[in-house]
Amino acid sequence: MVAEGGQLYTIEGVAAALIMLTTAYLVVGATAVYTPGDAHISDMQMEILGSDALKMMDTPQNFTDAKSPLRQIVENDDGPTFWKMFNNTINNRSGLFPDHIQFTANYTYRVPSDNSMNSSFLNASRNLTGGEHAVRVTKWVIVTKTLPPGAGPAQDRAVLMEVLLWRD
Amino acid sequence: MGFLVSFSFFFLALVINQSTLVGQTTAEGVIEFPKYDIRDITHVIKEHAQNNGQITDPIHADIVNVSLIRKGAVVNYTLDLAGLGHDPIIDKNNYSLIHYNNGVTEYNENWTST
Repeated sequence: MVAEGGQLYTIEGVAAALIMLTTAYLVVGATAVYTPGDAHISDMQMEILGSDALKMMDTPQNFTDAKSPLRQIVENDDGPTFWKMFNNTINNRSGLFPDHIQFTANYTYRVPSDNSMNSSFLNASRNLTGGEHAVRVTKWVIVTKTLPPGAGPAQDRAVLMEVLLWRD
Repeated sequence: MGFLVSFSFFFLALVINQSTLVGQTTAEGVIEFPKYDIRDITHVIKEHAQNNGQITDPIHADIVNVSLIRKGAVVNYTLDLAGLGHDPIIDKNNYSLIHYNNGVTEYNENWTST
């Protein structure tokens, strides 16, 4: 004779198996936004590199020369010097070949008459096409300059240097 | 017993199913924290103060307005300078209260020149 208790165990087993299958279905169907651990490391490094380069360019070269190279570049709108100095700083590395980081730089100032913003292009190693994955770095510079150009005498102003950096 | 265990697993799975898992990487956290912005803004404000700057200078309006529009950060500061705000014979130091807030990080500094 077969004991009747065995049937109950079978039913429990089948029910448990069905619940476990549903559980697996729910877990697989859960939404997970997966971010790879190394996703933003190159962005972070480029931001640090660009910020350090601008910081270095905003340091006066010696005690008697009170104006930093970056300040002189902005005051004279000296795009070629900016290109040379910034490009050397971010792209030179040990070995034969330089790095290939591209940049485009401009500085933004306030128009005193209506508090609007005006950006002045400085220089770029390549034109922006819109497809770049660029990192933006900024630096405040105090300059003695007439801003916007042609509006009264030169006075001390704070302008924001903005550089977009990307690798291609 | 097996029935009870599988039932508890089922409820745990429901919890996972209803929550959306989003990961933030360490590098993302580093980028989000405005370390360079704060260093830069306090540096330029102190430079303005050391040049015997006044709050009515265009530099103050430049920093406040350009920060808000181009950097998305609320920045403000006060200046209390020796010879301008207070008597230099009593106190030779310059003082500034600096406030920075970009919506994620807030920074306040009570600066005294040395």
